[in-house]
Amino acid sequence: MTTLPLKDNTGENPSQRAQLILNHTSFGSVTDDILKGNECPKPPRSWYIALAISFSMMSMLGVMIGYLIFTGVGVWGNNNPVAWGYPIVNFVFWVGIGHAGTLISAILFLFRQKWRTAINRFAEAMTIFAVICAGTFPGIHIGRAWLAYWLFPIPNQMDMWPQFRSPLLWDVFAVGTYFTVSLLFWYLGMIPDLATMRDRANSKVKAIAYGIASLGWRGSMRHWHRYERAYLLLAALATPLVLSVHSVVSFDFAVSQLPGWHTTIFPPYFVAGAIFSGFAMVMTLAIPARELWGLKNFITTRHLENMCKVVLLTGSMVGYAYSMEFFIAWYSGEIYESFTFINRAFGPYGWAYWIMVSCNVITPQIFWFKKARTNIVIIFIASLLVNVGMWFERFVIVVTSLANDFLPSSWGMYEPTYVDVLTFLGSFGLFMTFFLLFIRYLPVLAIAELKAIMPEADPHGHGHSYNEMEGETDASAKEMEEGE
Amino acid sequence: MSSVNEPNQNNETGRTWWRSLDEAVATEETITTAPGEFAEGSSDLLATGDDRRQFLKIMGASMALAGLGVGGCRRWPKEHIVPYAHRPQGTMPGNPEYYASCFDFGGIAQGVLVTSNDGRPTKIEGNPMHSGSKGATDAFTQASILDLYDPDRSKRVTYGGEASSMSAFKDWAVEYLPKQGKGTAVICEPSSSPTFHRMQRAFMKKNPHAIWVEYAPLTNTNEREALHHAFGGHWVAVPDFSKAKNILSIDADFLGAGPMQVQNTQGWSAGRKVQHGAMSRLLMFETGLSITGSKADDRFALSPAGLLAVAELIAFNGTGISTIEGSVELDDEIVQLLKDEFGTPDLVVVGASQPAIVHSLAAKINERIGAVGNTVSYRQVANGSNATLSEVVAGMKDGRVTTAVIVGGNPTFDAPQELGFAEALEALNASVCLSYYNDETSQACKWHVNQAHWLEAWNDGTAADGTTCIGQPLIEALFGGLSASEFVAILAGEKVTDSHTLVQTTFNPNSDKWDPAWRTAVHDGVVANTKTIEKPPVNRKEMPLVSGVTASAQTVLFTPSPTVWDGRFANNGWMQELPDTLTKLTWDNAVLLSPATARALDVKQGDMLRIEVGGASIEIAALPVPGTADDCFVLPLGYGRKFEGRVCKGAGVDAYPLRNENMWSAPAKVTKTGTTYPLATTQMHFAVDTTPGKGAQDRMPLLYREGTLDQYNKDPGFVSHIGHVPHSLSIYEEHQFEGAKYKWGMSIDLSTCTGCNSCVAACHAENNIPIVGKDQVLVGREMHWLRIDRYFAFAKDSHGAYDGDKLESVAIQPVTCHHCENAPCEEVCPVAATVHDIDGLNVMVYNRCVGTRYCSNNCPFKVRRFNYFDYFRRDPLRSTGLLQVQPDYYVKTQSGGKTLRAMQFNPDVTVRMRGVMEKCTFCTQRIQRVKIATKNAWVKKTDAQKKADPRVAIPDGSIVTACQQACPADAIVFGDLLDEKSRVSKLHKEKRSYEMLEELNIKSRLKYLARLTNPVHGATVVEGAHH
Repeated sequence: MTTLPLKDNTGENPSQRAQLILNHTSFGSVTDDILKGNECPKPPRSWYIALAISFSMMSMLGVMIGYLIFTGVGVWGNNNPVAWGYPIVNFVFWVGIGHAGTLISAILFLFRQKWRTAINRFAEAMTIFAVICAGTFPGIHIGRAWLAYWLFPIPNQMDMWPQFRSPLLWDVFAVGTYFTVSLLFWYLGMIPDLATMRDRANSKVKAIAYGIASLGWRGSMRHWHRYERAYLLLAALATPLVLSVHSVVSFDFAVSQLPGWHTTIFPPYFVAGAIFSGFAMVMTLAIPARELWGLKNFITTRHLENMCKVVLLTGSMVGYAYSMEFFIAWYSGEIYESFTFINRAFGPYGWAYWIMVSCNVITPQIFWFKKARTNIVIIFIASLLVNVGMWFERFVIVVTSLANDFLPSSWGMYEPTYVDVLTFLGSFGLFMTFFLLFIRYLPVLAIAELKAIMPEADPHGHGHSYNEMEGETDASAKEMEEGE
Repeated sequence: MSSVNEPNQNNETGRTWWRSLDEAVATEETITTAPGEFAEGSSDLLATGDDRRQFLKIMGASMALAGLGVGGCRRWPKEHIVPYAHRPQGTMPGNPEYYASCFDFGGIAQGVLVTSNDGRPTKIEGNPMHSGSKGATDAFTQASILDLYDPDRSKRVTYGGEASSMSAFKDWAVEYLPKQGKGTAVICEPSSSPTFHRMQRAFMKKNPHAIWVEYAPLTNTNEREALHHAFGGHWVAVPDFSKAKNILSIDADFLGAGPMQVQNTQGWSAGRKVQHGAMSRLLMFETGLSITGSKADDRFALSPAGLLAVAELIAFNGTGISTIEGSVELDDEIVQLLKDEFGTPDLVVVGASQPAIVHSLAAKINERIGAVGNTVSYRQVANGSNATLSEVVAGMKDGRVTTAVIVGGNPTFDAPQELGFAEALEALNASVCLSYYNDETSQACKWHVNQAHWLEAWNDGTAADGTTCIGQPLIEALFGGLSASEFVAILAGEKVTDSHTLVQTTFNPNSDKWDPAWRTAVHDGVVANTKTIEKPPVNRKEMPLVSGVTASAQTVLFTPSPTVWDGRFANNGWMQELPDTLTKLTWDNAVLLSPATARALDVKQGDMLRIEVGGASIEIAALPVPGTADDCFVLPLGYGRKFEGRVCKGAGVDAYPLRNENMWSAPAKVTKTGTTYPLATTQMHFAVDTTPGKGAQDRMPLLYREGTLDQYNKDPGFVSHIGHVPHSLSIYEEHQFEGAKYKWGMSIDLSTCTGCNSCVAACHAENNIPIVGKDQVLVGREMHWLRIDRYFAFAKDSHGAYDGDKLESVAIQPVTCHHCENAPCEEVCPVAATVHDIDGLNVMVYNRCVGTRYCSNNCPFKVRRFNYFDYFRRDPLRSTGLLQVQPDYYVKTQSGGKTLRAMQFNPDVTVRMRGVMEKCTFCTQRIQRVKIATKNAWVKKTDAQKKADPRVAIPDGSIVTACQQACPADAIVFGDLLDEKSRVSKLHKEKRSYEMLEELNIKSRLKYLARLTNPVHGATVVEGAHH
């Protein structure tokens, strides 16, 4: 099917619902369209090129990790004042990216935000992969990686438990729980779609593989009933995790007594920042994906615009947090604390700080304008900048606080080595490899759920569905808005 | 035998692997018996395996021979002082033993007590019975143990670079050494050893025509010359700072590195304890910033000509007599101070860099003010020289000298450049060099004889006050080798040439080994009542009023390096990595200049400068140091060795090519080259006009608390007013230490600590701390458990901004683990690898550590050190290459090249692997040893006695940490805080005592005593030095 010209569905008319799926009037065509990328005998060449690049980067990650473990963490730039460098920056960065998945799947689901259905599947996939990337770093960053399992409360012959007051241990639990629940949620939501793929499989191998994965889904009323209960329950379970995982990650810093880390604002600030970066990453992935996989009818401009609004909100929250940190540092009258923040902005790492501020605080402000919110190029660039800015935010927090702490005698500078940089790039390879395999072999959008938000899914309209009332078109909504 | 086991001797430059020391020595004996790791025949038995009993017999015999006695490291010791046929009473394998010995450094014997662990000397302490040590040491003495186990040390006699043997050398000496010493020149290092001098006399008696020259680049020849004029004969000044109340120093860095550092520091610090509201005062005039200058109460940075002007001002009471070519204007402030305010000094000391006339003037002033016999005494020294080095070189060139004998020292490297010593020596057909390394001089000589380490041979010496010291060996010479006395004895054709007999004969020709006086002297390390300091005869001769000092625009100054001295410690990894107290520089030397001069030349730290003196020039990196006189360039000597040692290779720049005979300062031309060079400093420099630089200045008064004596006398509690701390609560329940028998604590006195680095070196030696190499120091991964923080405090200008040119004070602060009761590191460790013990020590469990490094992040003092690599398996240190992996990286070498280094390890301290965090333990191994002994003694007590001492109290002072033991200033005190009478308890209660970063509620067990200074204008300083 050729892609139809896009409709503008970004109008805001409270009396009507905007159309979330464009150019489709039958359920069948929705399935066809979404699974086109999976079912075509050969994916586009760009997919192969992207996979080749991603896979080589992932291999590079493997090489770097091997080198690291055989040689010692000294191959990184970490040093005495700055004992945590890139690995922890990357860890927090990836955990943050992984944040949007649960928010979209759980909280927006509970809030009945129907537009989420177009993006939740791959946002969740993104979450899983990002958390895998994130999880890699704490494991390899410790000095004796082969003993990483000591961080888990495993009964052992030494009768030693982990030290439960350490935020690093809380991290293990928080990230572990988050990963488990996200994975379950993702998988559970995928079961009806996997069954669809099973039913449409054109080879025995696929039929068997999807058959196993779909757990014998037959689409009976009872199945649907159980499925939706379970989904709702998991959504409710996952909701606190949205707040907990990044709060706990922020405890790594907030619980310590280092100026610049020891801040009570960290949990909400980290959560806002995580949502911010997560949504930016969803957009970064969605924009090329909808282009290449022909999903523009499902991930419409309206979806992107909504995400832009979330980015604007969370970006401003992050900006507020930045200014609040400064205010409290000054207000506390504590010389170490105030120095840390002045030094962040005007000290040797000032450049990183100003990259962070311009990317995270200034860039999203462009989304006050609807023209920017609906311009794909601007959205894409802004989302990339936000990703850069959020990485730098973690860099600023981790490195500048450590580099200049209490005793000036111990102050030092941190310079990453090539191993640091290649390991970080390699984690993108890991992420992208998983993501490319995902869009090829798994249902990239939630087919069943998408059908449920089509007007056709609601035969008992009560005047709220699209096209039921006169003049209810996107064009008329636009006109109304402009007329106001 | 597989090929792996065959000794690899085919190249000199590559790494050679040995299974044992014997193989490394490769004497004929071992080569013929090799492959002979085990006793003869045992490998056959192993191979056939049919006669187990025979095998066990042989192995049993080998074990009985190995590891016993002084010669325990050699399997078949040839000579026994006290043979261990049976285990002597009182010795216990695994328990260290201590032997007194002495270490000759710069012509003065340092008294030491050496720890021996099962036959391996592992640690050097000061000898409490030695007058110059009183139990303390300097950093060089601490580090000299590492030289013993240096894999680069020379292991054999060579001729023309080819392996030869000791017997061949002895034959040569008998046959070819010119009769009557015609054309023979002997160049030796200054030595305090009576035996050496006895052998010298024997040699000169046999070779009356020989020339004998004593040469060392850093000998204080100007003082010798001045005192020779003054008193006749050869004298050295021995000041006693403990008695001095008003000390005036003209460029005398008496607290800095040098042979008398320990006793000077002890004396000076004794006068710095506030007694009845008084303490001594030190006024310092100097060119570069020295540690003495940094501890002075008033200090002025002057050019060499300015210093001379000061000396003349004092000596001639401002009558205007001057020997300076060119004009020098002294600040009114200085004139005023010297005239009225400072009053009469009761001791004037002058540095080696000053011309002879200044030493002469100082001697006169000291006499005038009645210092002689009171705060300064003199000691007559032997002078063996009958010529000068320049005469020897001239002789070499014109053929009068045909044979050169060099006994220690390294003149090829450090002789005055104008002489052309190296070329002249190389041209000789007959030359012999006794040296510890196959160094520059040895390579220029035909014969090289390997020198024994001072711990490998008997020696004796003379302390600064003239006391005779006896030094016994701790180990059989690992690679053969001769002591200097033995070497000269051989050349003199003596019948008996073993060091033991030589030294004993010097002591008393009639003494045998059972002589109680000899046994007492060996045991004590000193011969009682042999002090020879005296009040010399009055001035005899006036010196001509000539100084040769020119007031020049750019002046270069040569100083000894506080880390490698004249270059002799250049291959010592501990010294190379020891951060210089004031510059914090490791692994290199640099030209030190004032920040203003650096600005004028447009250079920053690490920019290369070309320095021209006369016709010679060198290029060296610049390092601005506040407090240096403007337009003066301080060049530490001793770096840039050409000897290919694995440690010294490529470290620093050789400044000797600029230096002429006895030259300490010279007019120079300094230009910027435009290239840069990385300097590995352990503290980063932040200019005061940058955000971090200003931040550092702002917080300094809180971290390093100081005040003047007047301030203290007015309000002894002034220290606590510098930073007020609200009552804080902990989120977690704090340690209660219920049932604790002891409460360990430490106190460090910032008033007396001079930053001499002795504690840092001692900690290195005691705790098996690795050195990491320059590349790792550059990224900030040095491993010192104890470090000395140095801050420069600057005055504020009229706008309230700090002025980086106005140095107000220098803070020197040793920092180690504070053993916080509410330790921030413990809370964040996810695996409980760092925990508290009941006595309040914050202990590190290496086995449990996985290396998250979170503890280091949360440590406010940043005293935790992380093993980023397996530092003990990275070798050589300086070239790690792209892969950073050494060929031996994965190989656990129980034998082979690492064994020698491993012999130094303290068996009571774990050697840490990579990926593990480590830090100061308050020397827990020492605590445990005393605790166990005390408890064992307690158990044997009667019930009544036990009842009287339920706590099993440990007597105060019986546990001494390594840093405390080494400290010559007595600034570090360790002990039990539960014992109200212990020194540390009293010091913690002193009003000067403060806790660094107290506001964090960490409750540290280490408290500092604020620094008190006694400046002339002290009374005018009201509130804190920097507010």
